[in-house]
Amino acid sequence: MNYINFKIAWRNIWRNKLRSSVVIAAVTVGLFGGLASTGVMKGMVMDLVENAIQSQVSHIQVHNEHFVENNEIEYLMEESSEILSKVRLEASVIGVSQRTKSFGMASTASKGLGVMINGVEPENEKTVTNIFEKINEGEYFESDKKNRIIISEKLAKKLNAKLKSKIVLTFQDYEGNLSGASFKVEAIYQTQNSTFDMMNVFVKKVDIDRLLMLPDHSSHEIAILLTNEEVTQATTERINKLIPNYLVEAWYDIDPYLNMSYSMTSFMLFIFMSIIMLALGFAIVNTMLMVVLERTKELGMIMAIGMNRFKVFKMIMWETTMLALVGGLFGILISWIFTWYYGDVGIDISIVGEGFATIGYSSVMYPVLEFIDYIEVVIMVMLTGIIASIFPTIRALKMKPAEATRAG
Amino acid sequence: MKTVIEIKNLQKTYTETAVEVKAVNGVSLIFEEGEFTAIVGPSGCGKTTLLNLLGGLDAPTSGQVIIDGIDISTLSSRKIIDFRMKNIGFVFQAYNLIPVLTAKENAEFIMQLQNKSKVERETRIAELFKAIGIEGKEDIRPSRLSGGQQQRVAVARALASKPKFILADEPTANLDSVATSELLDIMRKLNEEENITFIFATHDQRVIDRARRVVYLEDGVVTKDELKE
Ligand SMILES: Nc1ncnc2c1ncn2[C@@H]1O[C@H](COP(=O)(O)OP(=O)(O)O)[C@@H](O)[C@H]1O
Ligand SMILES: [Mg+2]
Repeated sequence: MNYINFKIAWRNIWRNKLRSSVVIAAVTVGLFGGLASTGVMKGMVMDLVENAIQSQVSHIQVHNEHFVENNEIEYLMEESSEILSKVRLEASVIGVSQRTKSFGMASTASKGLGVMINGVEPENEKTVTNIFEKINEGEYFESDKKNRIIISEKLAKKLNAKLKSKIVLTFQDYEGNLSGASFKVEAIYQTQNSTFDMMNVFVKKVDIDRLLMLPDHSSHEIAILLTNEEVTQATTERINKLIPNYLVEAWYDIDPYLNMSYSMTSFMLFIFMSIIMLALGFAIVNTMLMVVLERTKELGMIMAIGMNRFKVFKMIMWETTMLALVGGLFGILISWIFTWYYGDVGIDISIVGEGFATIGYSSVMYPVLEFIDYIEVVIMVMLTGIIASIFPTIRALKMKPAEATRAG
Repeated sequence: MKTVIEIKNLQKTYTETAVEVKAVNGVSLIFEEGEFTAIVGPSGCGKTTLLNLLGGLDAPTSGQVIIDGIDISTLSSRKIIDFRMKNIGFVFQAYNLIPVLTAKENAEFIMQLQNKSKVERETRIAELFKAIGIEGKEDIRPSRLSGGQQQRVAVARALASKPKFILADEPTANLDSVATSELLDIMRKLNEEENITFIFATHDQRVIDRARRVVYLEDGVVTKDELKE
């Protein structure tokens, strides 16, 4: 093996330092643009997913399979409490909570709105969702008093309710009769997701179970929080084996939209980078055509003295690819520093991004890029280099050594 | 004496031009091992064309170029590149060296292409650099060598893989008289001591004076073929 092609190609890059630097800078900026914006997007989406998991969806949920289809309160999990203690013993489970869920109407003197009534066991619920940390006013189920409710800031405004206001909940009980009771607002919460906030009110499970006349130890939903996202699939499978009669779902099955935004980012990187590489590819082709034209005599001489076409092609391909790769490596380095720094410190987008909060994004975002993203980009840069060298090489090979070596 | 090249009724007509140019118009010659021959004539008489035909850089319109018993016009374009690399050393008037390679790297370039071992290359190049008198400049790039030194490196490269003969097209055209006579001394010495065949195309009187055989070309036709000693 000898590296003569490679050596010449590498040194040729630095022959016209200005021109090569311009190309390298273009690739650097292009890659940084693509990678950084993907990183920001990925960070936002991961944050959205994380938020959704932590405050709403949890990693895994268990239901009676019919409940998922029509959300009717009769589709209970009868041995819910038993399941709870079983699941709690699983490795990588850090929190389990069971809930009663019922659609109902929340009304005040001024207005009535449809809501999802979540009956929770406060101590268990705290291990699974972080709503208790998102309290603006009041305390999260501190009192032992009956019929306390926690509503969101948004809903409070709509209903014209305040802390300690009375809210009447109306719903259908287990036997199908219309029922209702008055609840006192104990706390007001606010998450980043205003749609969620408008829909969900929280009451103690004991209170709502009694009003709905549900059997003891039953629930509609068990939410499970895990140590980290990566173990979700494996744990879901294990729990599924543990309680085969119920529907055990991971967050990505529960909320396919959430999952889609997640996988979209990788696809976006690919699209972004393809467009950027296409543009850079043209710039590289142009530069290499100039290079080949400038070196007509030299390439002719090299062919005259014995370098065959394939080796000439390799030489030009190396030069093109390395030119792109040098820029690529700089671009990756800068992107890596960018995500490393801002991934920690965060970028405050509250000025431009107020609207984002309504759909569940944070106002501070932390760009994220994974190893595989960099690999993907390196491969794309190399491919661009190889493809971009084809046209200039064809030009180079059209030269006749007999012409090229003539003096003048 | 052993024949290295034989050309038979060689013709080269350029037809791409408005008027057809018969650059080489029926030349038959025999070159033997150890020759030191100048093909001379005024500019435009067909020297470069003839040399390109001899070296397989260009295909004749008709006639044959037989090297070592092989008619090179029968070789495929792929084979001919290999054939050139193995059998023929080239020295051109200009643009001889690869600017990004050092003197030594340039000289061993063909050996590199032939995948010769490092040891083999080192020994051969050391030997040649001594012969061409530019020891100490091995690691310098061509732009920092004088014109004469560059041509000497080109000669070293042409000789490195021990070709059957060297074709040199106006090798002294860009050199002053000192450099010219130094280069000629070196080539004569290599010719005499190592029996290397040199064929020049030139209109430089200094080269003609040192040649042992002079082939006169006019309008693509040989007008005189003179053996001087
Ligand atoms: N590619 C070409 N197309 C047309 N005519 C050419 C071409 N190359 C050389 N010629 C012509 O052929 C003749 C011989 O040229 P050349 O071999 O370069 O002569 P010399 O090397 O003796 O100066 C000249 O008239 C020149 O103009
Ligand atoms: Mg000429």
